[in-house]
Amino acid sequence: MATTNIIEVQNLSKIFTRRKHSPVHALNCISFKVEKGQIFGLLGPNGAGKSTTIKILTTLLPPTSGTARVCGYEVLSQGNDVRKHICAVVQENALEIYLSVRNNFRTFGRFHGLSSKEIERRMDRVCELFGLHEYLNESGIDLSGGMKRRVQVAKMFLVDKPVVFLDEATTGMDTFNKRTTIEAIREESHKGRTILLTTHLLDEAESLCDAVVIINHGSILAQGGIEEIKSMGLQLYTVSLTVASEPAAMLQWIDQWKPVSVTRAQNTFTITLQSEVQALEMVNAARQAKILHQFEITRASLEDAFIELIDKKAGSTA
Amino acid sequence: MKPVLAVVYREYLIRRTSLTWMFFDVMVPLLYLLLFGVAFDRALGTSFVINGMTIRYNDFFLGGVLSMTCFGNAVNQSYGFFIDRDNGIFYEHLTYPLTRGQLLLGKILFQGLMTIAQASMTLLVAVIVLNVHIQLIMLPIIFLAAVLGTAGWFFGLSNVAFLIRRNDTFNMAINASYFVLMFSSSLFYPIDQIPMWLRIPALLNPLTWHADVMRYLTIGIGNGSEIIVQCLLFIGFLFLSFKVAVRTIQRST
Repeated sequence: MATTNIIEVQNLSKIFTRRKHSPVHALNCISFKVEKGQIFGLLGPNGAGKSTTIKILTTLLPPTSGTARVCGYEVLSQGNDVRKHICAVVQENALEIYLSVRNNFRTFGRFHGLSSKEIERRMDRVCELFGLHEYLNESGIDLSGGMKRRVQVAKMFLVDKPVVFLDEATTGMDTFNKRTTIEAIREESHKGRTILLTTHLLDEAESLCDAVVIINHGSILAQGGIEEIKSMGLQLYTVSLTVASEPAAMLQWIDQWKPVSVTRAQNTFTITLQSEVQALEMVNAARQAKILHQFEITRASLEDAFIELIDKKAGSTA
Repeated sequence: MKPVLAVVYREYLIRRTSLTWMFFDVMVPLLYLLLFGVAFDRALGTSFVINGMTIRYNDFFLGGVLSMTCFGNAVNQSYGFFIDRDNGIFYEHLTYPLTRGQLLLGKILFQGLMTIAQASMTLLVAVIVLNVHIQLIMLPIIFLAAVLGTAGWFFGLSNVAFLIRRNDTFNMAINASYFVLMFSSSLFYPIDQIPMWLRIPALLNPLTWHADVMRYLTIGIGNGSEIIVQCLLFIGFLFLSFKVAVRTIQRST
């Protein structure tokens, strides 16, 4: 099946220069493509270059070198054409704080060329989707941080722009808000809109994204589909062991398998191991030692793969 | 035009939420005219001579007050960039489907309408309360000159607002420079009667150019050819400020 790339990033670099400071290489020649209708995640730790990438793609920042095209338009030379095809949450809690939620929707709609009648009609649907009806007359300044964020994200669904950029869209939201937002993102993607998001929450990325790019220190560490990323680098497996009673030397016992990570909740240990063989050996050994109450072996999560990739890269550059 | 009108609509909604700001905008020039103007008029005596014409201080001061109105409006509008930047909405605006120039033009179109309202009130008070004889036939050009004056200062001050990241530094810089600009201009007094060291900066001051044009249009004082030169100089200042502001707004991200 033929695919259409709606975002194309080619050898994109961004260097920030400040007088009396050494230059900061925020992005080093990154390249990736996003297909139409995808939910695409930009993942990476703080300072990785995710927001810089979004700022370049939304025409807020010019790149130092390389090219980026959104909907076929070059971000540097055709900025206004790019902006006609996108909407973006680029800054935390960016809201018209002196305006009511209703007027926030109205101004946003006007800026995106909607008529008053159309805005009112769409506002009703968006408020329904995000549960905002009761807040319509509240001023932005009176809303909590999470509510501000919800309104900010909700605005993006008032218009039909083919590409939506969401920079840490669910930051500060409670579980209910987050679930509503994620559902709305999924729904919009099913309608054919392309969504490029950044998030720190890897489980969120895993459940939402069709494809991801993992960035660190301005360079791409891995890119592809979620399953592809998870199987990159080492084949990680997670063993969940529930032991009948906690043996004092349990952690020491686990250590002999050289795990990637270990977390513990009461009598359950979640251990990430570097191969399936190791995982089976561990369960077998636990059985023989008669300390096993319950066990589960699963492929490692995106978070495990992410940590492994970041660690591996750090190790190779050290 | 639609994007520019969207900016006007947004500015209108914001300003509507803060009537005190609007009240301040209107009252400051009026208070200057009524308190400072009247007191100075009395202190100076009944009249003084400019270009061989005898006029009252209130008549002379009207052009200066209109110029102050424009400058004050421009300061208020450019200060709005700090509020928008602190709220983060400024950056979101820059992702909307409009050019940087359209964003600035929308803001100045709204502020221009505010300036016309304020100038109308100032002229009304000048005519009714202070008995100033204005050239009514010039009224549309007076309003146009007031809007252009606001635009020139707004674009100039926007550059300062984009370059200075802190609003307290911006306030200090604007207050200090306004003080210098006001008193080294023809706002309060005719510059041919001030010392030479002050006259040179006054002649190079866009506030002088604008105040002289406003004075010529309201009460007909001034040399026609000099006024045309001042008019062209101010328009040059306006276009240069606009060009630079469009570039600076992009760099401010």
